Amino acid sequence: MDNNIEKLGYNWITAKSDEVDVVGDYYCQTRDIFQARLDKMVDNLLANNNIREEKTYLISAVVGEIGNNSFDHNLGSWINIIGIFFAYNFIDNELKIVLADRGQGILKTLKRVKPELENDSEALQTAFTERISGRAPENRGNGLKFSRESIKEENMRLVLTSGNARAELNRKMKIEKIEENIKGCLAILTV
Amino acid sequence: MFGNSDGINKLFIIMKIELKKFGDILVSRPAGREAYLVMSAYLTKELDKDELIEIDFSGVKVLTPSWADEVITKLAKEFKNVKLLNTENSSVQATLKTLRDYSDLKV
Repeated sequence: MDNNIEKLGYNWITAKSDEVDVVGDYYCQTRDIFQARLDKMVDNLLANNNIREEKTYLISAVVGEIGNNSFDHNLGSWINIIGIFFAYNFIDNELKIVLADRGQGILKTLKRVKPELENDSEALQTAFTERISGRAPENRGNGLKFSRESIKEENMRLVLTSGNARAELNRKMKIEKIEENIKGCLAILTV
Repeated sequence: MFGNSDGINKLFIIMKIELKKFGDILVSRPAGREAYLVMSAYLTKELDKDELIEIDFSGVKVLTPSWADEVITKLAKEFKNVKLLNTENSSVQATLKTLRDYSDLKV
């Protein structure tokens, strides 16, 4: 398998629809497949012993929230490819986890409940900080706030790109506009 | 067995819900919703709304706000007397904090 999972994730989310890898080990077409691979990741991380047990559980919760967010908010409205890309590996004692979906993106999801949002940067800011749910009246939308707190607590690093905005989080959060337009959502967690 | 002023004896049984029986990696909303429906049908259906319910987190490795919001938040809204046990796990702690901050969880 290719060690450069960041590149694979980027290629997966930016590829033309007829060129997306939907047979590889990193593709999770359904939530059940994602859950099974997440369970395996927990076992693998615990077996590797590189990260303490309690931190492993928190990392897995963050990954679970980000991955499930993709399914929660895109069910029935995937743009072309159903499901997500999910990969992880250790490089130089650093755990890298990549999640990507080719869904509606955070701006379009949140605009349903907050129409005044003007751009992707505002949408990311809202997603990470405000009490809001893209599936209102259902009370959802805690996942990214939870991720932000956990990342801060355990000194992890998350780079989340959606549309033409990128959020970088560790102890602090920085959101910036980028030149590229990433359709859907690409998350890279580094531990 | 306890007696009250009406002379009626009532047996108080504490309902303890062991979350590990639903799995040790509790992550998605659909799975949480299913767990809540099962609890409603088999565990909590006959209970008075003011009876004590203990939710035991021992054995849970990974818990997310999505799963917990479908179960813990709902049980805490439905029943007046909910007690959380064995919440030491890091993801349990972080999840409960998120639900208290963003989902009005009061326990």
